[in-house]
Order: sequence, then structure tokens, then C-alpha cells
Amino acid sequence: MSLSVMLALVTLVAPLVAAFLSVVIPPLRHRGAPAAMLAIAGSLLATVAAGVLVTQDVAGQAIRATVPWMVLQGRGLGEIGVRLDAVSIPMLAVVCLVALAVQVYSVAYMDRETPRSYGRYFAYHALFLFSMNTLVLAPDLLQAFAGWELVGLVSYLLIGFHFDRPSAARAAVKAFWMTKLADMGFLFALLLLFTRTGAFSWDVALRPEVAEAAAALIFVAVMGKSAQFPLHVWLPDAMEGPTPVSALLHAATMVAAGVYLVVRADPLFAQAHWVQSGMLWVGTITAVFTALLGLVQNDIKRVLAYSTCSQLGFMVAALGAGSAFAGYFHLGTHAFFKALLFLGAGSVIHSVHSNFMTDMGGLGRKMPLTALTFSAGALSLAGVPPFAGFASKDAILLAVQGRAGWVPWALLLATAFLTAFYMGRVLVLTFLGKPSPAAAHAHESPAVMTGPLVALAVPTVAGGLLGPWLARGLGTELHLHLGLTPVLASLAALGGLGLSLALYLRGGEAPLAATLAALDRASLIDRTWAFGYRGVLLPLGSAVRWVDRYLVDGLMNGLGWGTLETGAAIRPIQTGRTRDYALAVVLGALALLVLGAWR
Amino acid sequence: MTLRALLLVATALFSIGIYGLLTRRQAVALLLSIEVMANAANLVFVAFARFGGAPGQPLVLFALAITVAEVAVGLALVLLLYRRHGDTLLELASEAKG
Repeated sequence: MSLSVMLALVTLVAPLVAAFLSVVIPPLRHRGAPAAMLAIAGSLLATVAAGVLVTQDVAGQAIRATVPWMVLQGRGLGEIGVRLDAVSIPMLAVVCLVALAVQVYSVAYMDRETPRSYGRYFAYHALFLFSMNTLVLAPDLLQAFAGWELVGLVSYLLIGFHFDRPSAARAAVKAFWMTKLADMGFLFALLLLFTRTGAFSWDVALRPEVAEAAAALIFVAVMGKSAQFPLHVWLPDAMEGPTPVSALLHAATMVAAGVYLVVRADPLFAQAHWVQSGMLWVGTITAVFTALLGLVQNDIKRVLAYSTCSQLGFMVAALGAGSAFAGYFHLGTHAFFKALLFLGAGSVIHSVHSNFMTDMGGLGRKMPLTALTFSAGALSLAGVPPFAGFASKDAILLAVQGRAGWVPWALLLATAFLTAFYMGRVLVLTFLGKPSPAAAHAHESPAVMTGPLVALAVPTVAGGLLGPWLARGLGTELHLHLGLTPVLASLAALGGLGLSLALYLRGGEAPLAATLAALDRASLIDRTWAFGYRGVLLPLGSAVRWVDRYLVDGLMNGLGWGTLETGAAIRPIQTGRTRDYALAVVLGALALLVLGAWR
Repeated sequence: MTLRALLLVATALFSIGIYGLLTRRQAVALLLSIEVMANAANLVFVAFARFGGAPGQPLVLFALAITVAEVAVGLALVLLLYRRHGDTLLELASEAKG
């Protein structure tokens, strides 16, 4: 077994052992701190292993180490193991690093929890890292599906972490419901691929219609996991989970798993041109729509949640334009700056005890380190050069340039402007302006919280430099040149920021804000899904229940009833009187006699 | 006396026995009917022995012995029926009916 494979196994086993021990040895979990130590030790080991893996130059080659799974007639149904290549290693490093930062941060952020909840929280986190790495390192789609469902489960557990709060429990169920609905697509894609090719590999040549169908089915699952319109509704509600959870799962890594899967299965998606053009539009619509909703949120976490949807839309649009690299690049930079933004928001929330930006304001002087790192994240998200977000967003805009009559390009450029605009609003309402009463006693968070912020700020600023390395691994090149798109993107970012600063510093409100807020309150998409559930799915279930109860059961019950009734009807024949039987015997003998005489 | 006449008498006796078996309700009457039927069969045996050359007489002796045994058992049952129900109507013996 080579060193690389052993390192990859470390990234799987270390968090799994941490989770396992926390679960099976209750005192570790119930006392809280030991479970936290275990989880962080596991993540640290995994991060070191992933870091060593990154330094190994694997460009253009893939290391596979697998064992057959469910061997039937000498042949495995699928494979489990690891696949190390230029796609999985960067993602592995990002996931481990962000997970480590978030877990260290959580040590202080979750300190108001009871020891039992504290331990449970870290056990979930360790399980998440294992699940996510299972997905990232998957050698084929079957293991990817297993990891996919596992992260879905952990997401449910962590959104509903405060399960005694009805809103959190509802949000957890909603997230689970929506993503499971979408995951049916993945399952059907697996069945389709297996019946057509006998394997679960993404790297096979298929007939065009099969490739389109399989890619479309997988994309349905991607839409659910990566919160694409119209399946995005669960993500803003998922903010009911603790803020570090939002940072790790619902911004940086898990929701990006959908994008990762498309990059991973690029050979399959490259054969499906119809699906790709669909992805281009879905991504674009998601980006614009959710950015508009992000403009009018007052809960800082919901702003960030909508911006996550929007940025995932960017990535999906890039994938739809056929540029796996651009989508993947943005995934990486987004993971860092969005984790940073959420952790920064958590630092503020921890300090003022409120999610609402109306309770904040003027925190810049009170929490300088948080403000500084959060601003770096905001600038990166807004796409201001030379931050990492600019580099990756520029790659996406270049990829969609000229596609579908320039419409997605124009819409995404407008979205970049909106992104900068609402991030400017967040900066003003949170860190600048007049402090609200709730924010008067705010103070900087402890070092164990600001440390991860600073650590994440480094790739947030400089992550763009990794672009060429990533591009080389994926077999393309990143051209840096001064053209129309980068200039327009920079102008959009700076213009959006400048306009919103000018507007909100004077205490103004954006035009159309009232309309958008009304639209947000109306929550049309939510209602559509709710109608789909109550108006379509439940009646359908009732109909099926009727058929089952009255037709299927009725047939069986009727059979039993008929037998009983027939028995009761012919029962009088058996009188129990000897004479009647004797008569029957005589009659029978007579009948035989007559029959004999007849012939 | 011909074989035909003897067989006609035997058939008549057997039919009388059946009639009694089907119409009588008293257990003793039933036993009597069965005896009549058995004697009809015996008569057939003897008739064939006399005219047909078949060795019927030994069988009749056996049949008589069996009939005696049957009557002994039958009368014992009738006695039990009477002790239990105070009468010998056969319908009374219906305890085993479901």
C-alpha cells in the first residue's frame, strides 16, 4: 500500500474513530470536552494527512485502491475504497481544513451548551468529516451515494441540533425532505447506469440518450444538495442550526458536494449536452433569484444563506457551460470565504446574542479582528480584485461568456453587482453606523474563535493563486488577461459595494426593496412545495391507501368471507342424525344400482 | 321353490329392513331392522348354496355369530342411552354434534 493511499485512509479513519468512540463510550460524550478533543484530534490528523497529499504531484494520474463490495459469483457488485487524483485531493484538503477551523471555533462558540449537547455536537462533527471524505474519495458512484446520504443525515442532525425548538425541528425535517426528494434522482441514475453498464462508474462511454438521462437524474440530486432553484428553499431555513454548522455544512462543504459530484462525474456530464445547457440556465436563475432575496433579509445568517445559494448558482452555471474547472475553482475559494463569513457572523452573534442586523451596528471598533476578517470575506464574495473570489468568479464569467446568446453572462454579471450590493449592506448594518442598544456591550470574541477567522482569511485573500495549480490538475489552463469580462466584473463589484455603502450609510433603502421583501414574505416557492405535498402527494397517498384498503385487502377479506359464508350455507347438510346418513347411503346405493342397470 | 322366489323374498326382507332403519326413531327398532337386513343377506347366502353350488352355509354361521355380537353391543348402547336420557330415541344421542 503506497503512502498516498495510507494518508487517504487516515483522513477517513481518524474522524470515524473519533465519532465511534464518542458514540460507544457515553462518558466521553456526556462530559463534553473529551468528545471535542477527540473530534479535533481526528480532524487535525485528517488535515495533516490531506496536507501531505496536496504536496504530492498527482497531476494527470489517478491512484485507485479499492476492494470489491458484495461479491457475487466472484464479481463485486461495486467497489469501496479511495480514488486520489487532481479532483479529489484539493476537495479533501478544503474539507479537512475548513472542518478543523470550524471545530476549533466551536469550542468557544458552543460553550453555553450543556456538556451533553456539547459532546453530541462534536460527535456529529466527526461523523460529518468521515461522511464527507467518504464522498470525496469515492472511487465510483455507489460509494459517492453512500457518502452523499451520510452527509444528508448529519445535516439533518445538525440543523435539528436544538431539537427542542420547534422551528429547528421543522427546518431539519424540511431539509431532509427536500434533499431526499432530490436524492431519488441519484438512486435512479445508479440503477440506470448499473443496468446499462453493469458498474457504477462515471467514466464510461454511453449512448447519448442514456448519458443524458443519467446526467439529468444525477443533476436532480445536485439541485437538492446544492440548493438550486426551485429546490433551494431548505437552505435558508437550515440556518436554524448552530452558526458553525452553517459555516461548515450549509456554506463551505456539504452543499458544495453537489457541485463536486458534477466535477467528479465530468466524463458523464460531458456526454450530456442537453443537461449541460439546462444546468447553465438553472444555475443562472438560481444566482439571480436568490441574490435578489438576499437583498432584503434582516437576519445576517439568512443573507449569507441566500448568498450561498447564489454562489452555488454561479458554480452550476459554470459547470453547465462545460467548464468543470471554473466551477471547481469557485467551489474552493467559496468554501474558504463563506466559512470565514459565517464564522465571523457567528462571532458577532455570540457577542450581541441576536441574529438580526437591526441589533448590530457600529461593531467595527468593538470587534476589530472580526470586522477585519469578515470584511476580507465580504470583499472576496463580492468579487473585488485581487481577492480569491474575484479570480474564481472571473473564471466563471469567462466560461459562460458568449453562451446562450450572452444572456447568462449578463445575468451573472448583474448578480455579481447585486452580491457586492448586499454584502455592502451587511457591512454597513453590522460594523459601521450607529450601535444599537443590544450592541452596546459587545466585545471581541476569544482567541479560539478569532484564530480560525485569521487562518481562513489567508486563503480568502490569496486563494486565487491556487487557480493555475488546480487548472493544471484538471487538464486545462487558466489564462489571465485583461479583457472585457474581468474589467466589467471588477466594475460591477466595486460599483455595487460603493453604491450600497453610499446608500446605507445615509440610512437609505434600496429601490424595489419593499417589493422584494413582500416577495420574500409571500415565499411563493415554499408554498408551491407545500401545495405539492399537501395538494398532490397526500391525496395521492390517500388514493393509494384506498386502493390498498378496499381493493387489495378487500379481495383477501372477500375470499375469507366467501369461504365462511359458503361453509355456513352448506352446514345444514351435516345434520348429525344417523338416519339422514343412512338415507344418503341407501340413495347412493340405489343410484349405483340404477346406473348399473342402465348400462 | 326357485332361486328367483328366494331372492325376491330376500330383497323384500332387505327393503323392509331399510324402511325400518329410515323411519323408526327408537334405537331398539333400528336394531330389529338391522337384524331383518342381516337375515335377508343370510337368506341369499343359503339360497345360492342350495341352487348355485356356492359354499354359503359356513358363511351364514359366521354371520350369525357376528350378528349376535352386534346385537349384544347394540343393546348395551341402547341401555346406556336409556340410562342417560331416560328414553331410547336415537336423536338424543347427539352430544358429539358440533
